[in-house]
Amino acid sequence: MRGTVLVIVLLAIGSVAGAAVAFDFDKPPLRPASRSGALLPEPVEPAFTPGRPRPLANRGFLFHWASVRQRVSARTIPTEDAPTVGYLQTMTPEGTTNVVSVLKRDTASDGDLWVKVRLAALPNGTTGWVPRDALGGYGTVRTQLIVDLDGMTARLLRNGRTIFKADVGVGTSAYPTPTGTFYIRNKLRRYSSPFYGPLAFGTSARSEVLTDWPAGGFVGIHGTNQPELIPGPISHGCIRLSNADILELGRLMPVGTSVTIK
Amino acid sequence: MFDLTLEQVDQDGALLDAVEGAFGRSRAEFLSKALVTGGVLLGVLALPRRARSQEDDMSILNFDLAFEYLQATFYTEAEQLGTVDAMTAEQALWARTLGSHERAHVKIIKSVLGKAAVKRPAFNFGGATETPESFTKTAVAMEDLTVSLLIGQANRIKSLDLVAALFTLITTEARHATWARRIEGFTPIGKAFDDPMTFAQVDKVIASTNFIDSKLKTVAEGDPRFTG
Repeated sequence: MRGTVLVIVLLAIGSVAGAAVAFDFDKPPLRPASRSGALLPEPVEPAFTPGRPRPLANRGFLFHWASVRQRVSARTIPTEDAPTVGYLQTMTPEGTTNVVSVLKRDTASDGDLWVKVRLAALPNGTTGWVPRDALGGYGTVRTQLIVDLDGMTARLLRNGRTIFKADVGVGTSAYPTPTGTFYIRNKLRRYSSPFYGPLAFGTSARSEVLTDWPAGGFVGIHGTNQPELIPGPISHGCIRLSNADILELGRLMPVGTSVTIK
Repeated sequence: MFDLTLEQVDQDGALLDAVEGAFGRSRAEFLSKALVTGGVLLGVLALPRRARSQEDDMSILNFDLAFEYLQATFYTEAEQLGTVDAMTAEQALWARTLGSHERAHVKIIKSVLGKAAVKRPAFNFGGATETPESFTKTAVAMEDLTVSLLIGQANRIKSLDLVAALFTLITTEARHATWARRIEGFTPIGKAFDDPMTFAQVDKVIASTNFIDSKLKTVAEGDPRFTG
């Protein structure tokens, strides 16, 4: 009996000594997990930890837009039987994806979703309802361009605060710049015509006088090769800025931006 | 080749219901029969062939990021469109909480990846964010899918501290899934254990929803023809 106890004690000492020899000091340190003396490794420090979740910023200055994915009729009310107010194409005359400003959404009695959009059509200010599935995903912007025709200035607001201001050239009395609420449809660059400066934005506004102008008489916001004429009533309806100003605007103003001309 | 159908991953039919609401019944019927094709999120990554075959930690994290973009945009859009405002107080709390979590996930993964981070793809939720019913149903499917994605890759990451970080996401996403299921009235825990899914399997499910939009062309280089 005494011999058996001795063997057990010797085996126990041996196993403890063996464990000590086999211990890898490069591994994380062990710590007691409980009063029973069991040892567990320290937890691994995560490579990253997400920061504090933040609620969404206010929606006060948010404008939605969407691409047109299929040619579709815009209607007076959200139903297929309603009269047509215009047609939406998938591409613009400039070869860019056609986008529309999103104003409102509604679910019809049959459960189909409809979206009220602003059309780039005459008369300016035309709006209509299109089925949701004719549009692509929604884009959002927090920018708004306000053009003051009397003051001949343009201001860009982001979240309601002015971040850019410049003198502009506007339409003459014979070819006035249309007033109302519009949006930026596209951006053109690297073209050859010096008349438009280095950059041009297409808007949804259309000249109410030059209705037979090529590509539909859309009003642009662009640079110029005659900066000495700015500010002034000098254009066929477009809004002209100095080349430095249009390049700065190009950096700040995304497609979909709401444009108010007053 | 493993052929995955929508039913295999859409246990409660939540995703199918949401797609049906968004795209119409014929679309849903088509999806329920068709084999799901993929390539959308993996396409977004646009990784060099060598990097993708290595499936290194960064490429795994980038796939996570693409998926977190999807989730964050989904919840954010529902909030921005006012869909969340039309929900009950309990549902709105859930939606806003999950949205803030997903945005925090995007932010941290982007900062870890730095310049290697993929860009946010364009999304088209096709109406799934626009009614409380379709939104909550889609959220259930999306959160379940996230859990399957994360557990499917946890053991493939080599860096131990990244594995540790990933587990902090897995547990949170699992709680999201449980909360979403409760909101929708489903059994909070679908099964005794969650099925891991590969990138390709997750990608096929996402492809079936058409949530990844094609890239828009909003800049052109031709001569302007504006009125001048």
